[in-house]
Amino acid sequence: MALTTEEVRKIATLARLRFSPEEEGRLTAQLGQIVEYIDQLQAFTGSAEPESSAGLPEGQDSVLPCLPREVFLANAPEERDGFLVVAEVKASEAEGS
Amino acid sequence: MIGSSGASSLWDLTVEETARRVAAGETTAVEVLESALSRTAEVEPAIGAYLEIWADEARGRAGRIDARVAAGEPVGPLAGVPIALKDNLSLSGHAVTCASKILEGYVAPYTATAVERLLAAGAVPIGRANMDEFAMGSSCENSSVQVTRNPWDLSRVPGGSSGGPAAAVAAGSVPLSFGSDTGGSIRQPAALSGIVGFKPTYGRVSRYGLVAFASSTDQIGPLAKNVRDAAVGYAAIAGPDAHDSTCAERAVEDPLAGIEDGIRGLKIGSLREVDPSGLGPANARCWHESLERLARAGAEIVEVSVPSLQAAIAVYYVIATSEASANLARFDGIRYGRRASGANSLAATYVQSRSEGFGPEVKRRIMLGTFALSSGYYDAYYGRARAVLETMRCELDAAFKRCDLLVSPTSPTGAFKIGERSADPLAMYLSDIYTTPASLVGLPALALPAGFDDEGLPLSLQITGRPFAEAQVLRAGRAFEAMGDWRVAPTFKNRPGLGEGAIPP
Repeated sequence: MALTTEEVRKIATLARLRFSPEEEGRLTAQLGQIVEYIDQLQAFTGSAEPESSAGLPEGQDSVLPCLPREVFLANAPEERDGFLVVAEVKASEAEGS
Repeated sequence: MIGSSGASSLWDLTVEETARRVAAGETTAVEVLESALSRTAEVEPAIGAYLEIWADEARGRAGRIDARVAAGEPVGPLAGVPIALKDNLSLSGHAVTCASKILEGYVAPYTATAVERLLAAGAVPIGRANMDEFAMGSSCENSSVQVTRNPWDLSRVPGGSSGGPAAAVAAGSVPLSFGSDTGGSIRQPAALSGIVGFKPTYGRVSRYGLVAFASSTDQIGPLAKNVRDAAVGYAAIAGPDAHDSTCAERAVEDPLAGIEDGIRGLKIGSLREVDPSGLGPANARCWHESLERLARAGAEIVEVSVPSLQAAIAVYYVIATSEASANLARFDGIRYGRRASGANSLAATYVQSRSEGFGPEVKRRIMLGTFALSSGYYDAYYGRARAVLETMRCELDAAFKRCDLLVSPTSPTGAFKIGERSADPLAMYLSDIYTTPASLVGLPALALPAGFDDEGLPLSLQITGRPFAEAQVLRAGRAFEAMGDWRVAPTFKNRPGLGEGAIPP
């Protein structure tokens, strides 16, 4: 199936990505071509039995040491008093704009 | 000039011989390292395999190995062997960026289990090697930092995504490197660079400390100049790990124990779906000669059919991108890596950091995966791909009832020109036809040199085994290799400013 620019915009919103109009045009064509190729899957018979995750060991439900705070924060883009600094959750600007 | 004084150079020794000499005190780890660093300084300007070289730290590590030898203390099976690590394997205190701008400045807070084991075995990491950003690509051109060139022909790609580790080994910088393979990212660059690459069974090697791309197929493995060296590298990293619940509990069979035992009596399945017309004349000829060579080694060649192979790329690019879209959601500019400046809300931080930090191929795959998982399309794409994958699993199970091992070419073509496929993502994806099935079904698969095309570029055979049949796969690879006379001696063709063939290997 071919994708529309509208659909590409919707997917971009879900993926937390933003594209320039030029990138959007290119992506619409490229993704359309790839999806068209992937559409051949409809011609193949699928097995009714999905892979089971049985057999995989379950993790122990116990408290284990995790990364020390200072080690974790060493990679933080911004920190203050042992906490991560982030922008306001609700700011004047609309989400993702 | 890129020269060589032949096999007597320490950098050109095999992994086994290097470790033997270092352990016996016949040479020192420091001498081996200096030889590797000097070779690297010679070849690196031409190939660009590394994002960072850790010379001083490596000298310290090599010195400590020599001290152990001098004190009569035991050293491991990789004593003093210089190695390169793909830039998605964590080594505590060192940058790991997946060749992406979004991880600029990120320093690994812990060491990957596989890397931990390599250090315990005595290996000396000399640097982190280039890759397609987040392991997404088949040419290494998707690195956000630099292009890596194929040591056989500098106008061509080394393959990908582990292009840096492959080029480093092919060029003689290190005898052993480690990459990750999600859909062929160890095997395809090994094929294009004329070396051996091995992807173990899914779950055989811990993924702890490997930056995730597609968690259901990601696996770490070695790249080396010959099968025995790949086996030594594999044995050092394999085995259970409490840090990765998908890592198998079962014990590891020593892959070197019977590696010289040959393949007499083994049944080797040749895939009916391999279409010689899609291979080009030289690769088709090489494919037939490979089957003949296996038969001469005593194997019985049987034809088997896996019809869903034709759907492998479609299945792979739905499943891998779906998993990637979820795995890469963590890169949002909040906890680590690049944060966009000027975003005035939390959501804007996510969007701007991701849009600035990811390159075009990574964005394309996140978009494709998000699409395949989105409401209204999930059943038709992700659900359908899972169902066809189960068909493929059943067909491969059936094939392995008729044969012990499966063979195919590793790649439909030899190394292609830099830039040749970068404008056409789908054409790039199609080069993964033979490597994706073993990834999707989690089987061990070995790529090894099988011949040359008409332009003198390496071609490769892939040997795939049943789950956890690593030792058998490596034994078959060794038997195949022993009947040829392959030498990793790249020609550095098309070096700017010098005539073709002007540089001896």
